[in-house]
Amino acid sequence: MSDAATNEMLPEFMGFVDNARQGRLAFPYCRICGKFHWYPMPRCPHCRGNEIEWRQVSGRGQLFSFTRVMHAFDKSRADALPYVVALIEFADAPGVRLVTNIVGGRHDALRIGQPVAPVFLLDGKGRPVVEFRAV
Amino acid sequence: MQFEPVAIAGVGATVPVRRSPKSLRALVVEAIEAALADAGLDASDVDGVVSDGLCMPTTVPRDWVAAQFGFQRSYDGGMSFGGAASASAPIHAELAISGGLAKTIVYYFGVDWGTRASGPYGFHDLYAGKLAFEKPYGFSGQPQYFALWARRYMHEYGLTERDLATIAVTQRESALRNPLSQATRPMSYDDYFAARVVSDPLRVPDCCLITDGACAFVMTSLERARDLARPPVRVLGTGFGSEPISGDDAFTQPAGMMRIPGAKIAADKALRQAGIALNDVDFAEIYDCFTISCLLQLEDIGFCKRGEGAAFIREMGIGIEGRLPVNTHGGLLSHSYLLGVEHVVEAVRQLRGEAGPAQVKGAEIGLVGGLSNPDYGVMILGRDHR
Repeated sequence: MSDAATNEMLPEFMGFVDNARQGRLAFPYCRICGKFHWYPMPRCPHCRGNEIEWRQVSGRGQLFSFTRVMHAFDKSRADALPYVVALIEFADAPGVRLVTNIVGGRHDALRIGQPVAPVFLLDGKGRPVVEFRAV
Repeated sequence: MQFEPVAIAGVGATVPVRRSPKSLRALVVEAIEAALADAGLDASDVDGVVSDGLCMPTTVPRDWVAAQFGFQRSYDGGMSFGGAASASAPIHAELAISGGLAKTIVYYFGVDWGTRASGPYGFHDLYAGKLAFEKPYGFSGQPQYFALWARRYMHEYGLTERDLATIAVTQRESALRNPLSQATRPMSYDDYFAARVVSDPLRVPDCCLITDGACAFVMTSLERARDLARPPVRVLGTGFGSEPISGDDAFTQPAGMMRIPGAKIAADKALRQAGIALNDVDFAEIYDCFTISCLLQLEDIGFCKRGEGAAFIREMGIGIEGRLPVNTHGGLLSHSYLLGVEHVVEAVRQLRGEAGPAQVKGAEIGLVGGLSNPDYGVMILGRDHR
């Protein structure tokens, strides 16, 4: 079946993009219950509160899991194989796991728990992306 | 509420192939025709049509199906999507038949992901969160999701690649006993380890096939089914379970990652209704979209404890002669990938004693588990003893 419900960023997603453009990593944080959530939602999924702010974090995280992708699920990435997709957790944003790419370094040296730090870039269309490197 | 006992009176399936020259609509029609013929029913007997609630409405809608066959619908339903929908479909029959809304219900499901340009990955574009925060990082296919789960599970519980190979190799052996399986070549452990890595630690044989095809089954009251062409297969229990997390988040954000809480909810409900325990189950058809997901569901349904899936598989044996045969037709890994509707057809054939070289001896009770993360469906089927 197909396919795209939307190709647009939802308004509640923009905090991530706006912060990333400034070289900052920030996640939605509920002022009522004091918890982070991800992905961004119009209401806090923990307490249903609607006082959500974007709270900046240090960016330092660690690898929760990762995979070396060797198949072009997305044809536009056929020339980039293999690449590493990782799931990152942050000590200062519990409850958030961020999907990202690990860049630089040797792929076979990666391990779960590996400390990582963000690298802020713009993609070909000028949209900010946040990748990570091992530190 | 005491439900009217329900049975599966007929099943139908197209021959699964990677790419079919027929349209998905033609495949669905073929499957439904076969199911009606199997039951010895005419289209005029059907007064209820059920499908999943997401895939079929956009590809082969129920109204279109009804128009093809002339079904006069007094009941029409769709819930959840894909595998969970197929495995929990008898919920519709129990409610509609017990409530006097319908007498004979056709359920159908099919995909043309072999032919369709977006293949199995297109549906991810339905999720806004995935589009914004995953696709830009090349994270857009189910093998990648389950690769993350598999690596983390290996880290936490010591699972090995050989444990995953055991699932793939065993199911391939079962598939070779079924003349319709898409996989037709034997696979050794060496073959498994020599196979291409897709998204590590997962290789090609850890991933389900891609299929064009459809299946259908006919549900009616047990009483009525006993007068029809085939021996009825009783629905002993059905369950649906989930967790309040969206499809956007289900693969990356749950606090208890690598778990499918809906599986336990659905299984417990179905077992309670059936009045049996899991060790009464003679075989299981589990939603094996990947080797790792098959293993996790065995744990989450409750066949074994968390972290013990690999040992359970080794000790029990999941082949046809094992103590718990799993995916007796080869499963999604080696038979076909119609998102588990073929698991229902296989369970019915086992309980009618029609599985030929893949027949589980003395099969009295079978369990079908269907996953559409975070949703889960379970149906428990049994031979009819009047």
